[in-house]
Amino acid sequence: MKTYIVKRILSAIPLLLMISFLCFVFINMIPSDPAEVALRVRQTPVITEDAILQVREELGLNDPYLIRYLRWVGNCLKLDFGVSYTNPSRTVLGEISRCFPATFILAMSSLVFVIVLSLPVGFFCAVYKDSLFDRIVRGIVFMTTAMPAYWVGLLLIWLVSIRWDLLPTSGSGSIKHLILPSITVALTYISTYIRLIRNNMLENMKEDYVLYANVRGLKQSTILVRHILKNSLHTCIVAIGMSVPQLMAGTIVVENVFAWPGLGKLCIASIFNRDYPVIQTYVLLIGTLFVVFNLLFDIIQSIADPRLRREVS
Amino acid sequence: MWRRFLKNKMAVIMMAFLATIALAGVFAPILAPNDPYANNILNKFAGFSLQYPLGTDQLGRCILSRMIYGIRPTLFLSLLTMTGTIGLGCILGLLAGYFRGPVEEIIMRAVDVMMSFPSQIMVFAVVALLGVDVRNVILANVLIKWAWYARMIRTNVMKYRDKNFVLFSRCVGSGEPFILFRHLLPSIASEMAVLATLDIGWAILNISTLSFLGLGVQAPIPEWGAMLNEAKNVMTTNPVQMIAPGLAIVIVVAAFNLLGDALRDALDPKEVEV
Repeated sequence: MKTYIVKRILSAIPLLLMISFLCFVFINMIPSDPAEVALRVRQTPVITEDAILQVREELGLNDPYLIRYLRWVGNCLKLDFGVSYTNPSRTVLGEISRCFPATFILAMSSLVFVIVLSLPVGFFCAVYKDSLFDRIVRGIVFMTTAMPAYWVGLLLIWLVSIRWDLLPTSGSGSIKHLILPSITVALTYISTYIRLIRNNMLENMKEDYVLYANVRGLKQSTILVRHILKNSLHTCIVAIGMSVPQLMAGTIVVENVFAWPGLGKLCIASIFNRDYPVIQTYVLLIGTLFVVFNLLFDIIQSIADPRLRREVS
Repeated sequence: MWRRFLKNKMAVIMMAFLATIALAGVFAPILAPNDPYANNILNKFAGFSLQYPLGTDQLGRCILSRMIYGIRPTLFLSLLTMTGTIGLGCILGLLAGYFRGPVEEIIMRAVDVMMSFPSQIMVFAVVALLGVDVRNVILANVLIKWAWYARMIRTNVMKYRDKNFVLFSRCVGSGEPFILFRHLLPSIASEMAVLATLDIGWAILNISTLSFLGLGVQAPIPEWGAMLNEAKNVMTTNPVQMIAPGLAIVIVVAAFNLLGDALRDALDPKEVEV
């Protein structure tokens, strides 16, 4: 067991290195000269050729690529991501940590919506397969996969906030502000999980242990909850856990619809302002979260499900 | 295969429906009642009328005409994305699956890295790097999606590589390109068609989302995502304006998804029961 976990953690390292290398290449591919940008950031009044050469030497831009990459990784480990291009008085770390909580709250509350709605609906869809309820849910699920999230957000704003005047249209600050954006984020993912739970349970129903439980004469409700649901939940919890970074990345569009002051809004604003260090750090952050969450839930799954451990070893 | 396809009512209906939409886009200048760019500020937010069947937008432009012209970028760009994706994925997947060894190693490691990245973030990163433009959006979509196709095609090629007809072909002295393109490609074409049809819906959603954020198709050009972006700004005064483009996206994407499902049923009757 221990060896498996250690192996799994070690296998994540090359992936993290690749992601960080991509991010590094990304900032080095931009058309502007970092030395010139550094001078502008320091608010040097006149930028001369000599000054640029001097700064190049000072920042170590003449060093080989690999050394610069290693130095950059070292800085990132010290949480030093440089300063924003558009507003030199702000560090990238400050910008990201200012916006991170908002996105985190939004992602978490939509995760709650996803779990609360998709688990029971998927469960009942599987139990009453091909019933009217199942068919209606399948129809809705099919429609939501075709609906763009931002349009759903706009319709919700119009219906709930403008027509009924129940919730604020945009911004943040209270729980009321949180409801509409998190429903919008959740809607795109709920359909996936309803389908996942439904199909998983239907697959489990065909297993031999269910037949045996039936032969033993157990109550149907006991079989459904204690056996089938319990077995399906393993996969679903892992899948939902791994999708947390996806939820955080998925908030980009919704944040812009609802003017939610999180990372997504920062990212889009940075794209328009060509504020490359912020974009780079954002990509690095989400990429790292992806790897970390995958690793975490892989390990959790291997602890929860002994069968997988045997397969690996 | 075609006979089974024609028997599948859903597939035929969806195919006909999408063909109609595409034709409407091609013949937009004839079908559209008004010029999609002609603005008339005095007649903004007009309701439904004979001259403006879906009303007018914030600049007094005919919404129906803009919807019909909007078919062009939506379908054309998504088809372009899929062509690029499949082309790139196909070449690399065939190479990786057919020539084992270092070629495969390099391609598959690249695929692993591409797939470990969240695709949405990659699109934004590429657009940020190359600048805000439609071409870059297409490029970004191709760059993030090719890995899926490369992996799938490689798996399929491995499945067919040691089949007898391929071994025989090599025995009688067929060249490698001949085997790749005349034997392996047709064997996996049907499965790819299904996947591509399902992914066109994804491409349409993705491109319209970026246009909505202002990163893709730019404002005066009639594109459904960009139209929704304009509608968002006048939501309180004229909410009707956002209904038509949104519905259009839903219907077209749903049609592509249904067509993809129907194609899969037609090609592989075993999977129908699930």
